[in-house]
Amino acid sequence: MAAAESPSAALRRRDLCSRGIRLAGKMRADVVDLLDAYVEQQGLDASASVAAMEGVPLAAVERWDEQTGTQRLLENLAAYRAFRALLAQMLEEQREQLGEADAGLGRALAAVLLQVSAFAYHLEELLRLESRGIPGEEGDGPPPPPRLSLFEQKLRGLGVLRELAQWAVRSVRDLRQLGKPSSAAGTAPGLAESP
Amino acid sequence: MANPVPSACCVVLAAVVVVYAQRHSQQDSHIQYERVGADVTMKCGSMDWDAAVTWTANGTDIDESHLNGSYLILKNVDLSQSGQYSCYEGSSWHLKYQTYLRVGTPPKEPVLMCRSNNYPKGFYCSWHLPTPTYIPNSFNISVIHGTKDMVCEKDAVPKNRCHIRYLQLFSTVKYKVTLTVTNALGKNFTTLTFDEFAIVKPDPPESVVAKPVPNNPRRLEVSWQNPSSWPDPESFPLKFFLRYRPLILDQWQHVELSDGTSHTITDAYAGKEYIIQVAAKDNDIGTWSDWSVAVHATPWTEEPKHLTTEAQITETTSASTSSFMAPPTTKICDKGAVVGSGAMAVCWTAGLVVAAYSVFFI
Repeated sequence: MAAAESPSAALRRRDLCSRGIRLAGKMRADVVDLLDAYVEQQGLDASASVAAMEGVPLAAVERWDEQTGTQRLLENLAAYRAFRALLAQMLEEQREQLGEADAGLGRALAAVLLQVSAFAYHLEELLRLESRGIPGEEGDGPPPPPRLSLFEQKLRGLGVLRELAQWAVRSVRDLRQLGKPSSAAGTAPGLAESP
Repeated sequence: MANPVPSACCVVLAAVVVVYAQRHSQQDSHIQYERVGADVTMKCGSMDWDAAVTWTANGTDIDESHLNGSYLILKNVDLSQSGQYSCYEGSSWHLKYQTYLRVGTPPKEPVLMCRSNNYPKGFYCSWHLPTPTYIPNSFNISVIHGTKDMVCEKDAVPKNRCHIRYLQLFSTVKYKVTLTVTNALGKNFTTLTFDEFAIVKPDPPESVVAKPVPNNPRRLEVSWQNPSSWPDPESFPLKFFLRYRPLILDQWQHVELSDGTSHTITDAYAGKEYIIQVAAKDNDIGTWSDWSVAVHATPWTEEPKHLTTEAQITETTSASTSSFMAPPTTKICDKGAVVGSGAMAVCWTAGLVVAAYSVFFI
């Protein structure tokens, strides 16, 4: 039998969701600016298609409206943890390629990395609130991918930032669903939690 | 027993009708499409070149100067020459050939537009030709998302539109829509490539209402509703842009509103009629809608009070029993003696003050 959410927990959830929405909105705006700067600095074509790359979490989802709150939180958390690692790698590659030549881009990357880390932490808070166990990070995860060429690195960076921008929009939508008064993390929209 | 003679007549008559209809339907069904400016040669069915024939266009005889033997020659055809052309044998006037000539043009590149006004349900594409072809056209649309073909379901109304349901949301993979238009004289196509967010454009807000605020001469209260085509404003909230101006001015004032479906204008010019419009946009993605239908409103104004005339003020002051005699006000406020509305206001004020003193000393 589903336990009813206490009023204080519901308030806390809505508050966390509202703050998360603001975080994600700001993050998206910064990622879009970073994407423009990255494309220009790396000499890429903004309209270039980038194939899905291993390790880059895709924001695309089918039947989004049918997801439960827990699914939303877990998928978001997994994505932002992956982006944290990818952005750290991009920052490292950026420093190797350009040194101090383009400190502005490096600073922008670092700022977005910080926001991604903060958002991941925020998602963990939401999961804790829902009394859901927070999945451990995969310290012994898959081996690092083979070293990419410079051009491949640039393309992957483009793909990472594009997917991150999409994820930021998806996260806003996910948190809005979670923040609805009728919503609790474990229930799908319109469906009661199974006993 | 029924009389067989009328029955037999009916059968024969029916047979004649059927044969006649068949012959004419076969001939009537022949349609010939030609380009504007083309030279057209029509043969009179299987008649020899040197056979004596008569051609008609829409029932009117065609002059022999257009004939080359039994062939009809139409040079540099134009749209007005579309119609039914018939060829009759010499003196017997048997119909030997009939065709419907349709003069037109091959299609130019079609104009294609795709838009999502009901995000996240799906999007629609609509199209038209920039110039008419004057002959029937058929349209074929294909939609590809990555490597996946998607079905664009044709709308019953309007006919030049189809819609697609999103199978995925938040995808970075672009959609590619190709529209091909074909007619008897040629074909053409156009392609649009876009991503999911770029085409999101709500319909304008609905039921825009603007009302004066009682006792507030500079306020107007505006309210509106989300467009009914937007399926889930709670999960996908809209933000709004309101613009307003007095009719007498060209410059708009703008206000962007991130939530709510109402706003109070607080800086309206008193007594001036205003025109007001609202637009909508998804809070996070896409572009602004078109402006809503314009509404007009005028801020509240005070009812004009009955103005007390100078004679009434003078009467009131002289009726008092006060020993204080108010100086006559008419002289001060004589219109001939003052210049400008400011001076007049001072006169009236002075008169009222004097009247008040007079009453006080009754």
